[in-house]
Amino acid sequence: MKHLFAIALVVMGLLSVVAWAIRPKPVAEGKVMLAWVSDDNPARREQIAVFNRLHPDLHLDLDPTNGGMEKVIVQSIGGVGPDLFDCYSGFDLSAYVRSGIAWDVTDALAKSGIDVKREAWSAAWPNVLYEGRTYGFPTNACTNALWINKDLFDQCGVPYPKGPWTWEEFIPIAQKLTVRDASGRMRHFGLLCDWWNWPEFILQWGGRLYSEDGTRCVVDSPEAGAAIQFMQDLIYKYKVMPSPVEEAAMSSQGGWGSGSITFFGGGKGAMATGGRWWLCTLRTYEKLRLGAVESPHEKRRVFRGYGRATLVNRASPRREEALEFIKYMAGKDYNDLISHQADSLAPVKKYSYTPEYLHDPAYPGEDYNEVWREVLELSEPDPISPFINGNAAGRIFTKQMDLVKNGQKSGAEAMKDAARLINEEIQKTLQIDPELRARYEAIVAKGKP
Amino acid sequence: MSLKARHRDLLPALGFLAPNFLGFIVFTVGPVLFSLAVSFTNWNLQRTVPFRWIGLEGFGEMFRSQDFWLYFLNTAYFMLGIPLAIVGALGLALLLSRPLRGVVVYRTMFYLPTFTSGVALMILWKALYNPDFGPINAVISHLTGLTPPQWLLSTCNLVGLDVERVGLTMKQWGLGARDAIIIMGIWIAIGGNNMLLYLAALSNVPLELYEAAEIDGASRWQAFCHVTWPQLAPTTFFIVVMSFIGGLQGGFEQARVMTQGGPAGTTTTLAYYIYTKAFEEFQIGYASSVAWVLFVMIFAITLVNWRFGAKQLNY
Repeated sequence: MKHLFAIALVVMGLLSVVAWAIRPKPVAEGKVMLAWVSDDNPARREQIAVFNRLHPDLHLDLDPTNGGMEKVIVQSIGGVGPDLFDCYSGFDLSAYVRSGIAWDVTDALAKSGIDVKREAWSAAWPNVLYEGRTYGFPTNACTNALWINKDLFDQCGVPYPKGPWTWEEFIPIAQKLTVRDASGRMRHFGLLCDWWNWPEFILQWGGRLYSEDGTRCVVDSPEAGAAIQFMQDLIYKYKVMPSPVEEAAMSSQGGWGSGSITFFGGGKGAMATGGRWWLCTLRTYEKLRLGAVESPHEKRRVFRGYGRATLVNRASPRREEALEFIKYMAGKDYNDLISHQADSLAPVKKYSYTPEYLHDPAYPGEDYNEVWREVLELSEPDPISPFINGNAAGRIFTKQMDLVKNGQKSGAEAMKDAARLINEEIQKTLQIDPELRARYEAIVAKGKP
Repeated sequence: MSLKARHRDLLPALGFLAPNFLGFIVFTVGPVLFSLAVSFTNWNLQRTVPFRWIGLEGFGEMFRSQDFWLYFLNTAYFMLGIPLAIVGALGLALLLSRPLRGVVVYRTMFYLPTFTSGVALMILWKALYNPDFGPINAVISHLTGLTPPQWLLSTCNLVGLDVERVGLTMKQWGLGARDAIIIMGIWIAIGGNNMLLYLAALSNVPLELYEAAEIDGASRWQAFCHVTWPQLAPTTFFIVVMSFIGGLQGGFEQARVMTQGGPAGTTTTLAYYIYTKAFEEFQIGYASSVAWVLFVMIFAITLVNWRFGAKQLNY
């Protein structure tokens, strides 16, 4: 028996050697391999293909399985992080910088003549600029407008709207476009709007998420409460937007190209709040007759600016090579490709002011591209406070929004509780982070008479 | 075997055990002890927070946190399904221990959920629970004519646990996300390992005991109560202990796949809370404190089970 075990051990050892010897070779022999953690979709693969073609000595691979800030940070601290990764908000950037993951590329980009503030849309700045330093380049720049399904408008005899317009003007139109069948089942809603767009409503109603210096959450203002109440009213009072139950009835599993986009593509909504990037999916609905207009506004004609950026991992042994990708994103090839793919707007502003952007010969029916750049000019990025972890704030807001969405709390009550909980969380953060505490105290002292 | 021969075999035996043992030390014991040390620190993945020993401060903060108690209650609530799951597993094992034609096929079918991917099952149940077009609500509406529950979208629960504070409220009374997850858990557990354990235990009950009971004129129910159930006591005891351990550690997969801990945090369990604190809010030290408190709870409940449960065992 003893010999049998010994033989088994030797055989396993030999098999391990064989497995090592026949392991798959890298796909691109002699090239520097780079890994980019980003979401997987056809547009992304084409962007990578163009980069690889332009840089024959490099080979960029997409790694869609390790997305999410927590994975990137933990893997990078463990020494197995990607070379490039995406960043979706100002909070994400601050977390990457404060974890020592994001590489400061300010000087490297300056040497190449690239200046984010001069070239990129301002809505995308918070994703790459942190305390005066640059940590990457925007991958795109997004804002929301209102998609319209022209067929549903025609069926209901409603003329296509034109912006700028207000929510008050919007409601009767949306009600006309909300149609049920004889059994009471919804045929299509007047509006589809993802709840994660709630900061846009607060901005439009004249509220703020945080005080200007970021030291306090101020969503307990009457403006913010009214804004969130209006979102609830769209469901329960005006009945033009799906309730959570109706939303679930239409829902799929999430991810790229799903949710509201597919509902809208499937004719379940006459209007939908969404970005130009929706086209990546909507183009597959060949019979859909689309239009786009500026979203309605309230007191302030302002919209939510957001987007993605790509950063370089500070710990990557290939960070110099990875920097080439950042430079590529500032160039014409990449920007024209983004415009053509409709993966939102190109990050560099000037490429959205070309005849090709306005009228892409490959998509002659898309005569509404002007709307996006006009709205993006009016957009503001999501405000953040440096004094709270964005995920903790997100958890608090999500909980309160769930209660509003389910009709269990009014907008004002929910925002009052959210502000209280977030301000408590800010105080907790200050207790554990002396650097932030010093900065906070300096701001507060400066504000005192 | 002589002592010398035993000594001669010791070295190869240790050699073969070593890889597994080393792996256990490096990948299990090491991290567990490391997390214990970390629970007394303020370790935060954000480099601006200087690392320092804080002693029991993290534990104090945790006990003062309303979230901790809300999520503890969620965890405890999910464990209400354990008795039902055990009774179901026993009932199924009793049925499948009968000499039915094709019983092996039935056993395999009932065991299917155990070796099917958990994520796939949860996605399936998410569709079943769809309040509008899900088959569960279609059946409820058809049979009762009542408005069916909103399941995964609802914060309601059968004891009326409040959403935002530790307490009860009539406002939250009903069927909701927590109950949906319990029902799914019972369905998975009934045909799972517990059923197999009971099947094995049932096959070991001596037939003479049933014969003696029959001679004494015992009914089927009496035979079950006075023969089967006592004979199954060690298995039941093992299942209860393991179910409590699993119950306290559970809920992560369901929260991650089905609900993201919502609506309004009602399906966030301690396991999911640890994950969010450690990997979303980067508070590794605090998350380790919660993890160790969870360990102490599991250890204490297991001890209580042993202390009082083992006394009931006659076999």
